[in-house]
Amino acid sequence: MTSSAAVEATQLVKTYTGRSGVVEAVRGVDLRVAAGEVFGFLGPNGAGKSTTVKMLTTLMSITSGSARVAGVDVAAEPDRARTCIGVALQEAGLDPRQTGRELLILQARLFGRSATAAAERAKELLALVDLEDSADRQIKGYSGGMKRRLDLASALVHEPQVLFLDEPTTGLDPASRLTVWEEVRRINERGTTIFLTTQYLEEADQLCDRLAIIDGGVIVREGTPAELKTELKQRRGLLADPTLDEVFLDATGRTRERNAGDVQEVSP
Amino acid sequence: MSAFGQATLLGARAVREALRTPESLIPTLLIPLFFLVVNVGQAGKIFPAESTGFLEGQSYAAFQLPSSILLAASFGSAALYLVEDIEGGYFDKLRAAPISRSALVVGRLVAEALKSFLITTVIILLALPFGITIASGPLGFVLLLLLTALWAVTYAGFMQLIALKSRSAAATNSGGLAFFPLLFLTPNFVPRELLTRPMEIAASCNPVTYVMEALRSLILEDFDWATIGIGAGVLGVLVVIMVVLNVRSVNHYD
Repeated sequence: MTSSAAVEATQLVKTYTGRSGVVEAVRGVDLRVAAGEVFGFLGPNGAGKSTTVKMLTTLMSITSGSARVAGVDVAAEPDRARTCIGVALQEAGLDPRQTGRELLILQARLFGRSATAAAERAKELLALVDLEDSADRQIKGYSGGMKRRLDLASALVHEPQVLFLDEPTTGLDPASRLTVWEEVRRINERGTTIFLTTQYLEEADQLCDRLAIIDGGVIVREGTPAELKTELKQRRGLLADPTLDEVFLDATGRTRERNAGDVQEVSP
Repeated sequence: MSAFGQATLLGARAVREALRTPESLIPTLLIPLFFLVVNVGQAGKIFPAESTGFLEGQSYAAFQLPSSILLAASFGSAALYLVEDIEGGYFDKLRAAPISRSALVVGRLVAEALKSFLITTVIILLALPFGITIASGPLGFVLLLLLTALWAVTYAGFMQLIALKSRSAAATNSGGLAFFPLLFLTPNFVPRELLTRPMEIAASCNPVTYVMEALRSLILEDFDWATIGIGAGVLGVLVVIMVVLNVRSVNHYD
């Protein structure tokens, strides 16, 4: 791999045995994310997004293929890989009985900081995500947006080279979503590579330098949002510029209908 | 940071968690005390202190006390909090940190041992006004706390195994009920030699019997090192088995 790749996956496969037999969740994913990029990983529910993220972040074993993050083989050297990776998964992974400050201090200490350095880092991060006023309240009293911001902060305690965000704005109100977008941009400006999964195409369009669409465990499109739109426009001979929604629906073979003002996805 | 340091940090977090949910400790105290009162109320008159040799001059409550202590030590909440961490995603957050996999499970077990020290002390203090004394003295009292803490670690380890395998609060909760058949297949009401032959065989196959007899000997007699040694040995083996199985389970957690 080249030295500038922050994430590189080659023929990544995950199979497991479920109640209905062997499930192929990810079927040979190849990915390359350059350092400093915001990379979007899109796909319908059950497409293999979260499974791929879990393999890349050492949380799930790899059936076959290989993955390197920040140049480290995640299967061969998981602990070394963990020092380079920050993870905020779909569920804001927080302990409701700790305060925001306690959670960040514990996380920083687990990443090897001394008690003093951990307290200092917690203070910086609480300021970064604008949670200083709530720092000493138990997390169970936080709103959804506050929890998500704290989760982001906890993924940053060790200043990771690559930050994985799995659907970071799912379930948030529009204002909280915008706040998270701002945080993501700010973190990326500091040099952190962002690997982001999302179901919100507008989010991908706003935040991502490049993106890949996964469907049925395989990558079906990859490129910058502009490239993907241009490709669809040319291939279909469209007069107007397509939206990313249309790129997504084209890539995943789904169509949509408007029904009483609601957008519904309908499988072909 | 060493695995020991990491386990200590996670153990401290688990203790803080317990201190912030004192309501979860109330049933742990009240139910064993309820069993003590009811069992003594039902069978106390059958075994008067003056004429019952196996009581060593103490009341029947002293004979029953180990059952209540072991019951309290089996009410550990470590596994339920672990399931909560798993369901809420915090367990994955911890797994994504470069820490020893052993520390992830051992931290909670250490906290369970500390909680057991506290709860056992409170139960014994509450039992003292009812004429119970610790015949083996202060050193025996400390040994009693240590052995009970080892049982708390064993049973919490068993429950954590269910939590790691099932990832379900309901399944983990049900696992807690497994202690009741174990408790009733012990010399709970009378010494082992007074049990019927089938019950004696069942009790002899039950590791809880040896733990109970060790605790009972510390309460009723001066140091009976043979009984204490067997109880400690059984606990040592059980703790090692549970820690090994927990570490293995977390290492293969996917």
